[in-house]
Amino acid sequence: MHEYSVTKSLVDLCNQEAEKHKIEIIKLIKLRLGKFTGFSSDAINFYFDYLKKGTRCEKAKIEFFEIPIRIKCTDCNYQNSIEEPIFLCPNCGKTNIEILSGREFYVESIEGE
Amino acid sequence: MKINILKPVLVSNQQRAKENRKFFDKINSLVLNIIGSPGSGKTSVIAQIIKKLKSKYKILVIEGDIRGSIDSEQLSKLKVDTIQINTLTECHLDAFMTSQVLPKIEKPYDLILVENVGNLVCPAEFEIGEDYKVAILSTPEGEDKPIKYPLLFHLAKVVIINKTDLLPHLNFKIKKARKNILNKNPRAIIFEVSSRTGKGFGKLVDFLKSELQRKEK
Repeated sequence: MHEYSVTKSLVDLCNQEAEKHKIEIIKLIKLRLGKFTGFSSDAINFYFDYLKKGTRCEKAKIEFFEIPIRIKCTDCNYQNSIEEPIFLCPNCGKTNIEILSGREFYVESIEGE
Repeated sequence: MKINILKPVLVSNQQRAKENRKFFDKINSLVLNIIGSPGSGKTSVIAQIIKKLKSKYKILVIEGDIRGSIDSEQLSKLKVDTIQINTLTECHLDAFMTSQVLPKIEKPYDLILVENVGNLVCPAEFEIGEDYKVAILSTPEGEDKPIKYPLLFHLAKVVIINKTDLLPHLNFKIKKARKNILNKNPRAIIFEVSSRTGKGFGKLVDFLKSELQRKEK
Protein backbone atom coordinates (compact mmCIF):
# COMPACT_ATOMS: atom_id res chain seq x y z
CA MET A 1 0.00 0.00 0.00
CA HIS A 2 3.03 2.31 0.19
CA GLU A 3 2.73 2.69 -3.57
CA TYR A 4 0.12 5.39 -2.93
CA SER A 5 2.66 7.86 -1.56
CA VAL A 6 5.27 6.69 -4.04
CA THR A 7 2.91 7.23 -6.96
CA LYS A 8 2.02 10.65 -5.54
CA SER A 9 5.75 11.49 -5.62
CA LEU A 10 5.91 10.19 -9.19
CA VAL A 11 2.98 12.36 -10.34
CA ASP A 12 4.41 15.41 -8.54
CA LEU A 13 7.86 14.90 -10.06
CA CYS A 14 6.48 14.46 -13.60
CA ASN A 15 4.22 17.51 -13.26
CA GLN A 16 7.12 19.65 -12.01
CA GLU A 17 9.39 18.52 -14.82
CA ALA A 18 6.64 19.03 -17.42
CA GLU A 19 6.03 22.54 -16.16
CA LYS A 20 9.75 23.29 -16.28
CA HIS A 21 9.99 22.09 -19.88
CA LYS A 22 6.64 23.58 -20.95
CA ILE A 23 4.91 20.26 -21.64
CA GLU A 24 1.15 20.70 -21.19
CA ILE A 25 0.08 17.10 -21.77
CA ILE A 26 2.34 14.21 -20.79
CA LYS A 27 1.67 11.14 -22.91
CA LEU A 28 4.34 8.73 -21.79
CA ILE A 29 6.41 8.28 -18.64
CA LYS A 30 9.34 5.90 -18.87
CA LEU A 31 10.11 4.45 -15.48
CA ARG A 32 13.08 2.29 -14.52
CA LEU A 33 12.22 -0.12 -11.73
CA GLY A 34 14.84 -2.38 -10.17
CA LYS A 35 13.85 -5.87 -9.06
CA PHE A 36 15.34 -5.30 -5.62
CA THR A 37 12.93 -2.56 -4.55
CA GLY A 38 9.71 -2.88 -2.61
CA PHE A 39 7.55 -1.44 -5.39
CA SER A 40 5.06 -3.18 -7.64
CA SER A 41 4.23 -1.88 -11.12
CA ASP A 42 0.61 -3.10 -10.82
CA ALA A 43 0.07 -1.14 -7.63
CA ILE A 44 1.73 1.97 -9.11
CA ASN A 45 -0.56 1.78 -12.15
CA PHE A 46 -3.58 1.32 -9.91
CA TYR A 47 -2.88 4.49 -7.91
CA PHE A 48 -1.65 6.37 -10.98
CA ASP A 49 -5.08 6.16 -12.63
CA TYR A 50 -6.53 7.90 -9.61
CA LEU A 51 -3.77 10.39 -8.83
CA LYS A 52 -3.18 11.65 -12.39
CA LYS A 53 -6.67 13.17 -12.71
CA GLY A 54 -6.68 16.92 -13.25
CA THR A 55 -2.89 17.06 -13.73
CA ARG A 56 -0.52 17.18 -16.71
CA CYS A 57 -0.27 13.38 -16.31
CA GLU A 58 -3.98 12.79 -16.98
CA LYS A 59 -3.41 11.35 -20.47
CA ALA A 60 -0.13 9.63 -19.65
CA LYS A 61 0.76 5.96 -19.64
CA ILE A 62 3.65 4.51 -17.68
CA GLU A 63 6.10 2.27 -19.47
CA PHE A 64 8.05 0.16 -16.98
CA PHE A 65 11.57 -1.10 -17.62
CA GLU A 66 12.47 -3.79 -15.17
CA ILE A 67 16.11 -3.83 -14.12
CA PRO A 68 17.58 -7.14 -12.96
CA ILE A 69 19.61 -7.56 -9.80
CA ARG A 70 23.25 -7.65 -10.87
CA ILE A 71 26.04 -8.37 -8.45
CA LYS A 72 29.80 -8.27 -8.51
CA CYS A 73 32.08 -10.13 -6.14
CA THR A 74 34.93 -7.84 -5.14
CA ASP A 75 37.06 -10.87 -4.19
CA CYS A 76 36.97 -12.89 -7.42
CA ASN A 77 35.41 -10.33 -9.79
CA TYR A 78 32.54 -12.68 -10.68
CA GLN A 79 29.61 -10.73 -12.16
CA ASN A 80 26.13 -11.95 -12.93
CA SER A 81 22.40 -11.31 -12.67
CA ILE A 82 20.62 -13.09 -9.85
CA GLU A 83 16.93 -13.89 -9.44
CA GLU A 84 16.82 -14.03 -5.66
CA PRO A 85 18.68 -11.41 -3.64
CA ILE A 86 21.21 -13.68 -1.93
CA PHE A 87 24.50 -11.92 -1.33
CA LEU A 88 26.93 -14.82 -1.37
CA CYS A 89 29.21 -15.13 -4.36
CA PRO A 90 28.01 -18.14 -6.40
CA ASN A 91 31.59 -18.55 -7.63
CA CYS A 92 33.85 -18.27 -4.57
CA GLY A 93 31.30 -18.32 -1.72
CA LYS A 94 32.57 -15.09 -0.17
CA THR A 95 30.35 -12.23 0.91
CA ASN A 96 32.01 -9.09 -0.41
CA ILE A 97 29.25 -8.42 -2.88
CA GLU A 98 28.64 -5.13 -4.58
CA ILE A 99 25.17 -4.49 -6.05
CA LEU A 100 25.59 -3.17 -9.58
CA SER A 101 21.89 -2.77 -10.33
CA GLY A 102 18.44 -3.64 -9.08
CA ARG A 103 17.81 -0.82 -6.60
CA GLU A 104 16.80 1.73 -9.26
CA PHE A 105 13.52 3.56 -9.14
CA TYR A 106 13.67 6.61 -11.33
CA VAL A 107 11.94 8.47 -14.12
CA GLU A 108 14.01 8.09 -17.24
CA SER A 109 12.01 10.43 -19.47
CA ILE A 110 8.65 12.00 -20.15
CA GLU A 111 7.11 12.53 -23.56
CA GLY A 112 4.34 14.91 -24.43
CA GLU A 113 3.43 18.14 -26.08
CA MET B 1 8.72 16.25 -27.32
CA LYS B 2 10.82 13.92 -25.19
CA ILE B 3 12.63 15.14 -22.08
CA ASN B 4 15.19 13.03 -20.27
CA ILE B 5 14.64 13.32 -16.53
CA LEU B 6 16.81 10.67 -14.86
CA LYS B 7 15.61 11.56 -11.38
CA PRO B 8 14.71 9.13 -8.59
CA VAL B 9 10.97 9.10 -7.88
CA LEU B 10 11.72 9.49 -4.17
CA VAL B 11 14.06 12.42 -4.79
CA SER B 12 12.05 14.75 -2.55
CA ASN B 13 12.02 12.21 0.30
CA GLN B 14 15.76 11.71 -0.05
CA GLN B 15 16.38 15.46 0.00
CA ARG B 16 14.23 15.90 3.09
CA ALA B 17 15.99 12.95 4.76
CA LYS B 18 19.30 14.73 4.16
CA GLU B 19 17.93 17.89 5.78
CA ASN B 20 16.72 15.85 8.77
CA ARG B 21 20.19 14.32 8.94
CA LYS B 22 21.74 17.78 9.13
CA PHE B 23 19.46 18.58 12.06
CA PHE B 24 20.41 15.36 13.88
CA ASP B 25 24.10 16.00 13.19
CA LYS B 26 23.81 19.48 14.65
CA ILE B 27 22.58 18.07 17.96
CA ASN B 28 24.99 15.11 17.57
CA SER B 29 22.36 12.39 18.01
CA LEU B 30 22.63 8.72 17.12
CA VAL B 31 19.32 8.06 15.32
CA LEU B 32 18.08 4.49 14.91
CA ASN B 33 15.16 3.65 12.63
CA ILE B 34 13.64 0.58 14.28
CA ILE B 35 11.58 -1.61 11.96
CA GLY B 36 9.72 -4.87 12.58
CA SER B 37 6.35 -6.61 12.27
CA PRO B 38 3.41 -5.66 14.47
CA GLY B 39 3.93 -7.63 17.68
CA SER B 40 7.61 -8.35 17.13
CA GLY B 41 8.40 -6.46 20.33
CA LYS B 42 9.75 -3.16 19.04
CA THR B 43 8.38 -1.21 22.00
CA SER B 44 9.61 -3.78 24.55
CA VAL B 45 13.10 -3.80 23.02
CA ILE B 46 13.13 0.00 23.15
CA ALA B 47 11.97 -0.11 26.80
CA GLN B 48 14.85 -2.44 27.73
CA ILE B 49 17.39 -0.23 25.95
CA ILE B 50 16.01 2.85 27.75
CA LYS B 51 16.21 1.15 31.16
CA LYS B 52 19.86 0.29 30.60
CA LEU B 53 21.02 3.56 29.08
CA LYS B 54 18.90 6.36 30.53
CA SER B 55 21.12 7.00 33.57
CA LYS B 56 24.03 7.94 31.32
CA TYR B 57 22.48 9.16 28.08
CA LYS B 58 19.72 11.54 27.08
CA ILE B 59 17.19 9.55 25.07
CA LEU B 60 14.23 10.56 22.93
CA VAL B 61 11.70 8.18 21.41
CA ILE B 62 9.81 9.09 18.26
CA GLU B 63 6.82 6.80 17.95
CA GLY B 64 5.29 6.11 14.56
CA ASP B 65 1.82 4.58 14.62
CA ILE B 66 -1.11 4.68 12.27
CA ARG B 67 -3.34 5.81 15.13
CA GLY B 68 -3.21 6.28 18.87
CA SER B 69 -0.41 6.79 21.34
CA ILE B 70 -0.40 3.57 23.40
CA ASP B 71 3.32 2.93 22.89
CA SER B 72 4.48 6.45 23.68
CA GLU B 73 2.31 6.50 26.82
CA GLN B 74 3.88 3.23 27.89
CA LEU B 75 7.41 4.46 27.23
CA SER B 76 6.93 7.85 28.88
CA LYS B 77 6.37 5.93 32.13
CA LEU B 78 10.11 5.21 31.92
CA LYS B 79 10.66 8.97 32.21
CA VAL B 80 12.00 9.56 28.73
CA ASP B 81 10.77 12.17 26.32
CA THR B 82 8.52 10.85 23.57
CA ILE B 83 7.06 12.37 20.43
CA GLN B 84 4.14 10.72 18.68
CA ILE B 85 3.62 10.71 14.93
CA ASN B 86 0.29 9.39 13.66
CA THR B 87 0.62 8.41 10.03
CA LEU B 88 -3.18 7.87 9.66
CA THR B 89 -3.34 6.14 6.27
CA GLU B 90 0.36 5.57 5.67
CA CYS B 91 2.04 2.28 6.49
CA HIS B 92 5.47 3.80 7.17
CA LEU B 93 7.22 6.92 8.41
CA ASP B 94 8.83 9.08 5.76
CA ALA B 95 11.24 12.00 5.85
CA PHE B 96 8.42 14.57 5.62
CA MET B 97 6.50 13.26 8.61
CA THR B 98 9.75 13.12 10.56
CA SER B 99 10.70 16.67 9.60
CA GLN B 100 7.38 17.95 10.91
CA VAL B 101 8.22 16.91 14.46
CA LEU B 102 11.80 18.22 14.48
CA PRO B 103 10.70 21.66 15.83
CA LYS B 104 9.48 19.79 18.93
CA ILE B 105 13.04 18.67 19.65
CA GLU B 106 14.16 21.56 21.80
CA LYS B 107 17.32 20.11 23.33
CA PRO B 108 20.06 17.75 22.21
CA TYR B 109 19.67 14.02 22.76
CA ASP B 110 22.44 11.42 22.62
CA LEU B 111 20.16 8.72 21.30
CA ILE B 112 16.96 9.04 19.28
CA LEU B 113 15.04 5.79 18.90
CA VAL B 114 12.47 5.99 16.12
CA GLU B 115 9.88 3.23 16.30
CA ASN B 116 8.52 2.88 12.80
CA VAL B 117 5.03 1.61 11.93
CA GLY B 118 4.84 -2.18 12.38
CA ASN B 119 5.56 -3.47 8.89
CA LEU B 120 8.43 -5.31 7.19
CA VAL B 121 7.84 -3.96 3.69
CA CYS B 122 7.17 -0.26 3.34
CA PRO B 123 9.38 1.37 5.99
CA ALA B 124 12.46 -0.13 4.34
CA GLU B 125 12.17 2.11 1.28
CA PHE B 126 11.83 5.45 3.06
CA GLU B 127 14.84 7.08 4.62
CA ILE B 128 14.04 9.47 7.43
CA GLY B 129 17.53 10.81 8.16
CA GLU B 130 18.58 7.95 10.42
CA ASP B 131 22.13 6.77 11.10
CA TYR B 132 20.94 3.29 10.20
CA LYS B 133 18.07 0.83 10.30
CA VAL B 134 17.59 -1.76 13.03
CA ALA B 135 15.39 -4.72 12.09
CA ILE B 136 13.59 -6.74 14.74
CA LEU B 137 12.64 -10.34 14.03
CA SER B 138 10.77 -12.24 16.75
CA THR B 139 10.98 -16.00 17.00
CA PRO B 140 7.21 -16.73 16.60
CA GLU B 141 7.36 -15.07 13.17
CA GLY B 142 9.59 -17.83 11.84
CA GLU B 143 13.13 -17.85 10.52
CA ASP B 144 11.97 -17.40 6.92
CA LYS B 145 11.19 -13.68 7.24
CA PRO B 146 14.54 -12.49 5.80
CA ILE B 147 13.80 -14.60 2.71
CA LYS B 148 10.30 -13.17 2.35
CA TYR B 149 11.23 -9.55 3.12
CA PRO B 150 14.79 -9.33 1.79
CA LEU B 151 15.08 -5.57 1.41
CA LEU B 152 14.72 -4.67 5.07
CA PHE B 153 17.20 -7.32 6.18
CA HIS B 154 19.57 -6.26 3.43
CA LEU B 155 19.51 -2.63 4.50
CA ALA B 156 19.54 -3.04 8.29
CA LYS B 157 22.95 -2.68 9.88
CA VAL B 158 21.68 -4.35 13.06
CA VAL B 159 19.21 -7.23 13.32
CA ILE B 160 17.74 -8.13 16.70
CA ILE B 161 16.22 -11.59 17.13
CA ASN B 162 13.68 -11.07 19.94
CA LYS B 163 11.63 -13.44 22.13
CA THR B 164 14.38 -16.02 22.48
CA ASP B 165 12.68 -17.10 25.74
CA LEU B 166 10.04 -18.78 23.56
CA LEU B 167 12.55 -20.97 21.71
CA PRO B 168 11.78 -24.14 23.74
CA HIS B 169 8.17 -23.95 22.51
CA LEU B 170 8.85 -23.20 18.84
CA ASN B 171 10.45 -24.81 15.81
CA PHE B 172 12.45 -21.63 15.21
CA LYS B 173 16.10 -22.46 14.50
CA ILE B 174 18.47 -19.65 15.44
CA LYS B 175 21.24 -20.99 13.21
CA LYS B 176 18.94 -21.02 10.21
CA ALA B 177 17.66 -17.52 11.01
CA ARG B 178 21.22 -16.21 11.21
CA LYS B 179 22.05 -17.84 7.89
CA ASN B 180 18.94 -16.33 6.25
CA ILE B 181 19.83 -12.88 7.59
CA LEU B 182 23.48 -13.13 6.51
CA ASN B 183 22.45 -14.31 3.03
CA LYS B 184 20.64 -11.00 2.61
CA ASN B 185 23.23 -8.96 4.44
CA PRO B 186 26.65 -10.51 5.10
CA ARG B 187 27.64 -7.54 7.27
CA ALA B 188 24.58 -7.60 9.54
CA ILE B 189 25.34 -7.36 13.25
CA ILE B 190 22.97 -9.82 14.91
CA PHE B 191 21.86 -9.86 18.54
CA GLU B 192 19.68 -12.46 20.27
CA VAL B 193 17.53 -11.07 23.07
CA SER B 194 14.46 -11.65 25.16
CA SER B 195 12.69 -8.44 26.14
CA ARG B 196 10.65 -10.40 28.67
CA THR B 197 13.60 -11.78 30.65
CA GLY B 198 16.22 -9.19 29.64
CA LYS B 199 18.56 -11.93 28.40
CA GLY B 200 21.01 -10.86 25.71
CA PHE B 201 20.61 -7.12 26.22
CA GLY B 202 24.09 -6.80 27.75
CA LYS B 203 25.78 -7.31 24.38
CA LEU B 204 23.30 -5.10 22.54
CA VAL B 205 23.68 -2.30 25.07
CA ASP B 206 27.50 -2.57 24.97
CA PHE B 207 27.31 -2.23 21.20
CA LEU B 208 25.07 0.85 21.49
CA LYS B 209 27.41 2.37 24.08
CA SER B 210 30.35 2.00 21.72
CA GLU B 211 28.31 3.59 18.94
CA LEU B 212 27.36 6.47 21.26
CA GLN B 213 30.98 6.96 22.33
CA ARG B 214 31.99 7.15 18.69
CA LYS B 215 29.45 9.95 18.23
CA GLU B 216 30.77 11.85 21.24
CA LYS B 217 34.22 12.16 19.67
